[in-house]
Amino acid sequence: MNPKTKKLLIGILIAGLLVAAVAGVYAYAGQRAFISTLFSGLTLGSLFFMVAAGLTLIFGLMDVLNFAHGSMFMLGAYIGWQFYTNPTFIFGMAPFLLAFGAGVMVTPIIKPYLIALNISEKLQKALPKIAYVLALAALVFAFVGFDILSVANTAMVAATTTTVGNPLAELSAQEPLSTFWLRPFLMFVSGLLIAVASSRPGDKTQFAPREPIGKKLLMPAALLVLTALSTLVRESASESVLLMNGNLRFALSILLSVAFGFVFGAVIEITLIRPLYVRPTFILLMTLGLSYVIRELVQYLWDPLTYQMSRPPLFAQPGKASSIAEWLQKGSSTIDIYGATVPTYRLFIIALGIAMFILVIFVMTKTRLGMIIRAGVQDPQMVEAMGINVKAVFTVVFAMGVALAALGGIGAAPFLPVQPLMGDTYQTQGLITVVIGGMGSYIGAFVGAMILGMARAFGDYFALKLSLSPAIAEASTVIIMVIVLLTRPQGLFGKKE
Amino acid sequence: MSEQIPGNDLLVVDRIETFIGQFHILENVSVCVPKGSITVMLGRNGAGKTTTLKSIIGLTPPREGKIIFDGMEIQGKQAFNIANLGIGYVPENRAIFRALSVQENLKLAERKKGDFERKSDFIFELFPDLKRLYKLPGNHLSGGQQQMLAVARALVPENKLLLIDEPSEGLAPILIQQMMEAIRKLSETTTILLVEQNFIMASQLAERYTIIDDGKTVQEGLMKDLIEDTDLIHHYLGASIKTRKELEMEHESEN
Repeated sequence: MNPKTKKLLIGILIAGLLVAAVAGVYAYAGQRAFISTLFSGLTLGSLFFMVAAGLTLIFGLMDVLNFAHGSMFMLGAYIGWQFYTNPTFIFGMAPFLLAFGAGVMVTPIIKPYLIALNISEKLQKALPKIAYVLALAALVFAFVGFDILSVANTAMVAATTTTVGNPLAELSAQEPLSTFWLRPFLMFVSGLLIAVASSRPGDKTQFAPREPIGKKLLMPAALLVLTALSTLVRESASESVLLMNGNLRFALSILLSVAFGFVFGAVIEITLIRPLYVRPTFILLMTLGLSYVIRELVQYLWDPLTYQMSRPPLFAQPGKASSIAEWLQKGSSTIDIYGATVPTYRLFIIALGIAMFILVIFVMTKTRLGMIIRAGVQDPQMVEAMGINVKAVFTVVFAMGVALAALGGIGAAPFLPVQPLMGDTYQTQGLITVVIGGMGSYIGAFVGAMILGMARAFGDYFALKLSLSPAIAEASTVIIMVIVLLTRPQGLFGKKE
Repeated sequence: MSEQIPGNDLLVVDRIETFIGQFHILENVSVCVPKGSITVMLGRNGAGKTTTLKSIIGLTPPREGKIIFDGMEIQGKQAFNIANLGIGYVPENRAIFRALSVQENLKLAERKKGDFERKSDFIFELFPDLKRLYKLPGNHLSGGQQQMLAVARALVPENKLLLIDEPSEGLAPILIQQMMEAIRKLSETTTILLVEQNFIMASQLAERYTIIDDGKTVQEGLMKDLIEDTDLIHHYLGASIKTRKELEMEHESEN
C-alpha cells in the first residue's frame, strides 16, 4: 500500500471513530446536556488557545519556552480587573511608567550623537555602567516615601466592598502636586539615563544614521504630554472611569491589558531574555523564576486573596434570552441554545478565542511581519543577512505573545476567580496544547486547544454522570498528549525536524 | 600582490581572523574586490571561503582585521546594518525559505517598499522559470529552481555588491550554463564576489581570483594568469578531482 492511501485510510478511520463517538455521546447524554457540555468545551478550548497561541508563537520563532506565560496571563487579568473595578492603582502608577517610558524613548534621538562622541575606551566601558547606576538611584528616589501599598490597597478595599455608593469615598487624600511632580520628573531622568547607557556612547561599531528627528520626537513628546496629563488627573480620572458605561469600561480594560502585556513583554525580552539567547537552559530557568517574581509581586500588592470580577452589563442581567438579538438588547446572563442554557459570557470567550485565531492567521499569512516570522523560524541568520533586524522582530514577537496571554487573562477574568495562581492551570494546559498541536504551529495550537477543551468538558460530564473521580477529566488531557506523542512525536501539525 | 589602484576597490577585506566557538577558522584572510568586477574565491572544502563571506556580511563577525566596504569600516557591525548598506548575500545550499512561496521569498527581500515591483521584470528576464512558479511554496521547487530563487532574492533590493556562495553546487550542466549567463549579466551592473568550486565556471566568469587555504589567503591575482599556472591550481585546488579532470578535458578540447 502506498503511503498516500494509507494516510487516507487512517484519516477515514479516525473521522469515522470521531463521528461514532460524537453520535454515541449525543444519544447517551441527550440534546440539552450535549449542547451545554459542547459549549463548556469550546469555552475551555478558547481559553487554552489564548495561552497556547502566545507560547507556540514564541517557541516557534525563538525556541524559548516561556514558563512565565501563565503568570503573564494572570497579570493581564489583574490589570484589566483593576481598571474595570477600581482604576486608582492604574492611574496612581501611570505618571511613573509614562515618564520613564518618555525618557527611554529619547534613545533613537540621542543615539547617533552619542555614538559619534570621541571618548577613550576606558570611558566607553565605564559610562554605561555609571549611567545605569544613576538611573537605578533616580528610580529609587522617585519612589521614596510613596506608599504604593496604599494605592493598591485602596483599590482592594473598593473592590471587596459592594459597588453601592462611591467605592472611592474611602480614599485617603493623595500627595499634593507640589511635591508629587518630582516623582515623575525623577522617573523621566531615570529613563533618560537608561537611554544614554543603552546607546553605548562612543562605541563606533553601532550603526545609527543621523536622520531628521521629526518622527522620532513624536513618541517621547506624546508620552511626556500623557505624563503631565496623568499627573494632573491622577485622582479624578479613576472616578470618571467608574462613571463610564460598564461595557465601554470593559472594552477599555481589554485594550489596556493588551497594551500592558505588549509593553511588559517587550521590556522582559530586551532586559532579561536577550542576554541569554546563547544559553537556552538559562532562559528556561529565568522564565520559571520570573513567574514566581510576578506572582509574589501581585500577592504583595493585592494580598493572596481571591477576587471575583463582576461581569460587564452586557452579560450580567438575570434572565434567559431566547435569541442573540434579545441577549444583546437586554444583556441577559444566559441564553437558550437548542434547549440548553448557556451563559452568555461563554459565548464571548468563544468569540474572543476565534477572533484571536483569525487575527493570528491574518498576521502570519498576510503581513510582512508574519512573512518574517515564518522565514525566521527556518533560518533567522539568513533573514538578518537580508537586512532585517531580527533582534527587533524577536522583541515584537515576544511582546505579541505576552499581549495574547494578557488578552486571555482579562477575557477570562469575569469568568474565573481572579487570584495569583489563576494562570498556572492554563500554563500547564497551554503547554500540553502546544505539544499536541505541534511546537510552533498556530493551527495546531487551535486544534489542540479545542481537543483538550472537549476532553475536559466531556470528561467532567461523564465523571459526574457515572460518579467517577473528577480527576479523570484532568488526566484525560495528559492521556491524549501521551497518545499523540507515541503516534506522532512532532505533534498533530508539527513538522518533522 | 595586487596591482589595483587604491580607491577603486569596493570591498577590502584586510587580514581578518574569525573564530566560530573556539575554532580559529580564518587566520589571515585578505580579499580585494575592485568595483565592477567579478572576483572568485577558490580553495578546498573547509578552507574558509564560506566563513569569509559570512564574516563580510556580519554573521560570523571577525575578531581581528578590517573590512572596508565603499570606504566605510563595517567589521563588528550587525548583519542587518551591513546588508542595508547594499550587500546581497546568496548562501550555499540554496537556503531559500521553504515555508514561503516564491512571491513571498522575493517580497521579503525588499528593503524599501516597491523594490520588488521595480526589479521584477529584470528578475523574470534572468530566471523565466520563477515567473511560472510564482505562487508555489519554496519546498515544491527543484534544486535548480531553488538556487535561482536564492540568487533572485539578492537582486530585489539595490545592491552594490553580491556575495554568492557556490551557485553551481549540485546543478545539472544545463542549469550551470544558465546560472553563468545570469551572473555574467548581473556583473554588468553589480560587483560580485563569488565562491565557486567548479573551476570551469569560475575561470570563465571571474576577472580576479583569491585562493584561500586553511584559513589564509595564499594567492591572489588575475584569472588569466591563474589559468596558465596549472601547478598552482593542482597544489591548492587538487582536492576537487572532478575539477581537475574537467579542466584537462577542456584543455584537450581546446588544443
